[in-house]
Amino acid sequence: MRMTPKVVVVGSLAILAAVVFVMVCWPYAKRDMTPSNIYRPRTPVEAAGRAIYLKNGCVYCHSQSIRTIDWGHGAERVAQAGDYVGDRPILLGSQRTGVDLSQEGGEHPDDWHIAHFVNPRYTRPNSIMPPFEWLGIKRLETLTQYIQSLGMKQADVRMERQRYWKQEAIKAYEAGPEANVKWLAEIVPEGWRNIPNPYPTTPASLQRGQVIYQQFCIGCHGPIGDGMGPAQPYIYPPPLNFTILKGREISGGIIYYQLMNGITGTAMPYFKRELESQKIWEVGDYVAVYFINQSDANKEPRGIDASWEP
Amino acid sequence: MSSPEPEMPKTYKTAKAFCLTSAGWFTMATSAGMIGAGYLIAPDFMANIEWIHFGRIRPIHVNINLFGFVTPGLLAAAFYFLPRLLRTELYSEKLGIVSCVLWNIYVFAGVVGIGLGYTQGREYAELAWPVDILVGISFGLVVFNLLMTVRQRKEPILYVSIWYACAAVLLTATTYCIGNVIWRPDTGALLGIPDAIILWFYGHNVFGLLLTPLGLAVAYYVLPLVSRSPLYSHTLSLIGFWSLLVVYTHIGTHHLLQVPVPTWLKVIAIVDSVAMVIPVMIFLINIWYTVKGKLGVIYADIAGKFIFTGTIMYFFVNIQGSIMSLPQVQRVTHFNNWVVAHAHLGVLGFAGMTALGGLYYILPKITGKPLYSRFLADLQYWFVLIGVVGFTIGLTIAGLIQGNAWINGEALYRVLPEIHIYYVARASTGLLVAIAAYLGLYNVIRTLFFNPGVSR
Repeated sequence: MRMTPKVVVVGSLAILAAVVFVMVCWPYAKRDMTPSNIYRPRTPVEAAGRAIYLKNGCVYCHSQSIRTIDWGHGAERVAQAGDYVGDRPILLGSQRTGVDLSQEGGEHPDDWHIAHFVNPRYTRPNSIMPPFEWLGIKRLETLTQYIQSLGMKQADVRMERQRYWKQEAIKAYEAGPEANVKWLAEIVPEGWRNIPNPYPTTPASLQRGQVIYQQFCIGCHGPIGDGMGPAQPYIYPPPLNFTILKGREISGGIIYYQLMNGITGTAMPYFKRELESQKIWEVGDYVAVYFINQSDANKEPRGIDASWEP
Repeated sequence: MSSPEPEMPKTYKTAKAFCLTSAGWFTMATSAGMIGAGYLIAPDFMANIEWIHFGRIRPIHVNINLFGFVTPGLLAAAFYFLPRLLRTELYSEKLGIVSCVLWNIYVFAGVVGIGLGYTQGREYAELAWPVDILVGISFGLVVFNLLMTVRQRKEPILYVSIWYACAAVLLTATTYCIGNVIWRPDTGALLGIPDAIILWFYGHNVFGLLLTPLGLAVAYYVLPLVSRSPLYSHTLSLIGFWSLLVVYTHIGTHHLLQVPVPTWLKVIAIVDSVAMVIPVMIFLINIWYTVKGKLGVIYADIAGKFIFTGTIMYFFVNIQGSIMSLPQVQRVTHFNNWVVAHAHLGVLGFAGMTALGGLYYILPKITGKPLYSRFLADLQYWFVLIGVVGFTIGLTIAGLIQGNAWINGEALYRVLPEIHIYYVARASTGLLVAIAAYLGLYNVIRTLFFNPGVSR
């Protein structure tokens, strides 16, 4: 084959044209733009928030693309083509330095997001996201509206839930410590309330509990458990001051349940996806021993001793 | 291969300008990379600086590397070898200078634009629409200049480097406009899933139709000359060229295997990604057989050393790429640092090293004096090599930790402390590359402007 300029230019352009037709034009002609069952258009504020998201390169660390193999955040809803029919450009992302945000809407209340944007480590001590305090509160609120819309109709359901429970939580908080602690205990299902912490308190378990506390709790509840962590000024109702729990019949089971499920409506997230059972019991016992000074660890009824227990 | 014709007076202004462009932006690219790496280690480091926070410095780093460092570096060599292989002058040095100035303006405008938040938010297609137009014009001028040079050639035979160089700029000028959806100035994007398909078609072709063909062109030119061996096989270079164009252009959708795009599109992408072994091995067999038995000579020549190392990286990055396109592998490797390692192996390890080799090959020829410092160039070689290898190993380990943890149900947040040390390792090896970039810039400036003419 003799490679003349014409062969090189015409040949390579012809190949490119053929490939563009097959790989770009054909799928475009065959595109299905039917909205999925959870799709809804964005409000103008949410669209403005998306522009801030785009402008600041959030897409380089956060995907919006749930796969069949995913476990955690958003895994209940695998992405469908119809979820993206309003997206220009589409923001699938190529990396998960942070979590996938497909279903982030309604995971947390708005105030959690503001604290998290001001400094991500205020609510998530291990986060490696840079702070966005410089955006200013107005733009952060707009951005938060966009984040809260991720998941579309499903996010709306969750946001409704957040709003309802926020009212309840505020009512309880404003009724004073006594009523608040009572509310916090009574929203836990009956069976859980009477369960003592089944793991014995040991120096090793307290040490493990402290590690978990520092990685998950310290930003809101603070290093001495008084609810005065750096996130506190942004959050209402404010983080719980653990010391008020003393003498108010808070069992290990109540603490476990609240850590596991979180308190929707408040900035207290659920941890059952991130922490295994033993870790939740042990961080609960750490709180009970150090901040409440009143632990029911290893008390009756406790069933059969685990084989490893001292 | 044509024999050199020393009697022809040439200025090589364009090649010099692109040399300087490449060496200069290399320092900026690695500096931006260091800032990004710093954020991943300590996110409150340089906190709340709007223009350089991670979401902006990352695309800045990527765009400078692709369009500021690697492409101009390879083009510098092309502007040198095209006229020589064709036994003619460059069609217009004036036009070449104009295209180079415009090139620098668009890189600068694009980078400042991203820093200020003017971005289309699409990977590799971030640059805003006005900058896209500048990119199109710059590429157009380069295409015109190269093709007109071909037209006025005195050598009837076109050597393989010329096919690759011409096809690279011509096809990329086209795919750039398609991928940036240039007919939509407001967003530069399509709606929904087709946007992802067109983006990754273009995005992967930045490597497939720009960096790779330009890099291969330089390797095909320099390695036979350095080793003083004729090219092993003309037939292989033919098959390699056409199969590269056919296969590489099909594989962009392998970025979307876990996304709801049509399955037939994924199948084509996977099949062609595996088929990439064909053009890659054809090139490597051809070039490695060409230099067979001459590795001592290659090692003794700074340009040969860079470019031969580039071919080894080319082998690794492409075999890795073929494997990564398999869906079962991608369940672990997608979305994490494995891919970052892969990208650096390709862009810095293969294309970047080849570009640096190209610079060191042409600098003595276009200035007529030996390189200002062979020692600094050698130091740069080792820093880049250790940097990119360390970088790749570290981030690959981090990626495996992330991918395997996620697929086994570990929350992303819990894995962050585990990979922190690899971010530190990446920044440390990245620092070597950054130092290498500054050494290189100094060497290039001294060679071009303040060259005493004695090698040290």
